[in-house]
Amino acid sequence: MSFLRRTVLALGVTGLVTAVLRLRGTGGVPPQTGGWRELSGPDFR
Amino acid sequence: MRQLASTPGVQRIAVGDRDPDRAARVARSVGEPVRPEVGDAATWGAADVAVLADGGDHLLHSRRLVGEGVSVVSASGDPHDVAGLLALDAEARQRGCLVVGGAGFAPGLSCVLAAHAAAGFDQVDEVHVATVGTGRPAGRGRHRVRGGDACEWVDGQWGPCPSGSGRQLCWFPEPVGPQDCYPDATAGVQLLASAFPGVGRVTSRVGSRRRRERLAPHLPGLGRPPRDGRLGALRVEVRGRRGRVHDTCVLGAVDHWIVAAGATAAVAALSVAEGRLGRTGAGGLAGLVADPPAFLGELWARGVKVAVFEGTATSTARSSESG
Repeated sequence: MSFLRRTVLALGVTGLVTAVLRLRGTGGVPPQTGGWRELSGPDFR
Repeated sequence: MRQLASTPGVQRIAVGDRDPDRAARVARSVGEPVRPEVGDAATWGAADVAVLADGGDHLLHSRRLVGEGVSVVSASGDPHDVAGLLALDAEARQRGCLVVGGAGFAPGLSCVLAAHAAAGFDQVDEVHVATVGTGRPAGRGRHRVRGGDACEWVDGQWGPCPSGSGRQLCWFPEPVGPQDCYPDATAGVQLLASAFPGVGRVTSRVGSRRRRERLAPHLPGLGRPPRDGRLGALRVEVRGRRGRVHDTCVLGAVDHWIVAAGATAAVAALSVAEGRLGRTGAGGLAGLVADPPAFLGELWARGVKVAVFEGTATSTARSSESG
């Protein structure tokens, strides 16, 4: 019974950590310099 | 439809739908030169070009149209549809017509942006496409493929990777900004891989703002895609060499998905009808558009804006391995 409780607890903690990482984590580092510049007519000639 | 109707020189546009009443309503709302067409797409043998933008069987209609020598522009981004359309290459060449697969926002505009970025390199090494948002009917296809294995092109062969792994933070033009994106199986990968022979790696990612999809991206979408397609974003990163120098070019776009997809399909159809693509056969816009700046310029004139990232781009290769 004790083993079962520990297993359920371990699985629950694992699921909780996974959910937090999925929802709050990010997949990388944003660019530190630069930005977007819209292209206009002359850029296409 | 409105994009084509507002183009000088277009004499007649026949609109067909599985629901004839809906086709008639669309024709009335746009006005001349749009008229409702009785019958399905297979009867349109007299057309210069047929644009398939519904949720029907694009491959079946395309086979019939190509059999009658009619060029086809398909907005479907479904990998199975596009693979079938590309397989029509030999018959299309034989009959002197064109089959354009994946002529929407992504694939479609993404392919033109990739071709535009690739023109600045002597050798293209990698192409990475990321998108946010979906449009109908592409949204249904996108939901379908999200539950399967995502595919990427690595060193000349397909490499499957489980959906939900390989999360990467992709920076889109404002107002979308940064989004976590996951590997996705879209037709864009096969279209880009066929357009750039010798490319080392082609990947496709899709971003999700929904919490349930972030928790379990391997499950199919539960809700239907929004009817208007809403705001979509596109980011195309091309890496290559100029001489001995390795460099990266990042282009992006933010627009209402279906508006940009419609404009791209319309410009593609006009390019086909006016013979601006310069060859026959089947392919995607990355391989068929001979003058990407002119194509993008025409889209710009129709209100579809694209942007270039000027600065230091993030490393897709490194972050994609972090899972």
